[in-house]
Amino acid sequence: MVNEEFKLERLIFNLNALAELGEEITSQKDFQRVVKSSLFLVMGTFPCSKGAILRYDYGKRAAYPIVSKGISCDADAGIALPAEAVSEMVRHNSPIDLKSEGGFFSSETEVLEKFGARIIAPLVVKDELMGLISLNEKFSGEEFTPYDLKLLSAMAKHIAVSLHSNSLLRKLVHKYSENKGLYDGLRSIYYNTIHAFAAAIDAKDAYTNGHSHRVSAYCTAVAKEMGLRDDDIESIRIGGLLHDIGKLAVDKIIINKATTLTLTEHIEINTHPVVGYEILSKIKFPWRAVAVMARSHHERPDGCGYPDGLKITDIPLEARIMSLADAFDAMTTDRPYRPRLSFEEAVYEIKNNLDLQFCSDVVRPFFSLIRKEVKKEVEHPCVTPLLKEHLDPGDVTRLVSNFLAS
Amino acid sequence: MKKKNRNFMEMEDCVVLFADEYLNDVEGEKLEELCDAFLMKGVKKLIIDFSDTGLINSVGISILVGIMDKLKGGKGVLLFSGLKKVNHDIFNMLGLTKNVPVCKTPQEALKMIEGGSPRKLTVQ
Repeated sequence: MVNEEFKLERLIFNLNALAELGEEITSQKDFQRVVKSSLFLVMGTFPCSKGAILRYDYGKRAAYPIVSKGISCDADAGIALPAEAVSEMVRHNSPIDLKSEGGFFSSETEVLEKFGARIIAPLVVKDELMGLISLNEKFSGEEFTPYDLKLLSAMAKHIAVSLHSNSLLRKLVHKYSENKGLYDGLRSIYYNTIHAFAAAIDAKDAYTNGHSHRVSAYCTAVAKEMGLRDDDIESIRIGGLLHDIGKLAVDKIIINKATTLTLTEHIEINTHPVVGYEILSKIKFPWRAVAVMARSHHERPDGCGYPDGLKITDIPLEARIMSLADAFDAMTTDRPYRPRLSFEEAVYEIKNNLDLQFCSDVVRPFFSLIRKEVKKEVEHPCVTPLLKEHLDPGDVTRLVSNFLAS
Repeated sequence: MKKKNRNFMEMEDCVVLFADEYLNDVEGEKLEELCDAFLMKGVKKLIIDFSDTGLINSVGISILVGIMDKLKGGKGVLLFSGLKKVNHDIFNMLGLTKNVPVCKTPQEALKMIEGGSPRKLTVQ
């Protein structure tokens, strides 16, 4: 090749290398692979047999290799750079030929020998030193020309951007992990507090130990069976735990009374939904329905419920589910005024009060779920394990199938 | 005795490594690893054949320089074969053919080795 052709070939080769480097930096590949490809591209351009790309650690005031080729250096072999040297390198911001300008690294000759370094190019973005490129002598034995150093400088700017983006991403990931940890901690405290409240509510009544937790479990199971959204299911779950919070304001004597309540006592105990609503509506739950469930869980589709005498169309779905779950648990657990009903008796009670006390749109999925659980068609049963009797699959199927078919 | 694999062929006491398109990606490092493996086994004569390689880029060059670096200083003999003109020009331009003879085919390279004529690879 004549000289001019040679120069042109060289120029085309260099431009090609720059273009491929740009493509590599902006690719979606894994960061480690991008940096490795970038190093290979740089080394193959001059070409050199030893090279490394290092990341500068401001905390340790040293640059550590991310990738290397032709060098056997361990991960701890960093190149120390005090703050003054870093400022000078940022200001200089161009490749340094150690033969003539080794001043920055005068104390690091041993480390630099391990890297076989002849040229060090700083990787600078917005006056911040991201890292270094280290290259040894050219394999051909020729000297690095000023043109070579300009080309290396251009390549270094591309690689610096890649390191900078990765640094931002790492900070973001770290912040996300921190925030997630805080969020998980808060969430844990939040749920523990709710459970503590539920336990406090149930502790007031000697007979209803675990009532709030059972109601919550029944409601959640029905909501899932009905295919509600996850947010709504969670709302119902929390609502179930807190639905009787208003009872904290009711005299314990009234709650545990084994004989018929007087009118005054009835009025007092019937205030618990409103009291519960007033307590819960002041808390900024992520879900609106929690307070509403507490208020409306004694409403009836026939309009004879309390406190508001709502008709079926006005009773929120969550409250309709809650009403069924609350009543079912009341029927199937012992009370101060009567022993628990059997499952069969509870089913008949519900059937007899369908569309009077209980809405059929929630009763059907409830019975359907129980049938699936006894037939072991559900991986994690929620309702049947909480009942105090063993259910015969045949009996249950007979009891609920007629209902579901009608 | 000739033993042929997809990436290499053992011919007597010489090995021919076949570089193809993977050379232009960091995965081309496996060519270097192959070279390392043969050097560890005591092979001292390597031929790299580029008949199936298109235009070689800087990544490919860095991998080849890595191999050449392992063989320099009399550690072994290296020849190239099947280089397309464009790649031969690039190798010339980068000074890589100063120390490495280039032949048309692996067989020609093998004859050159058997004839005892190739210079040992040295950096000048």
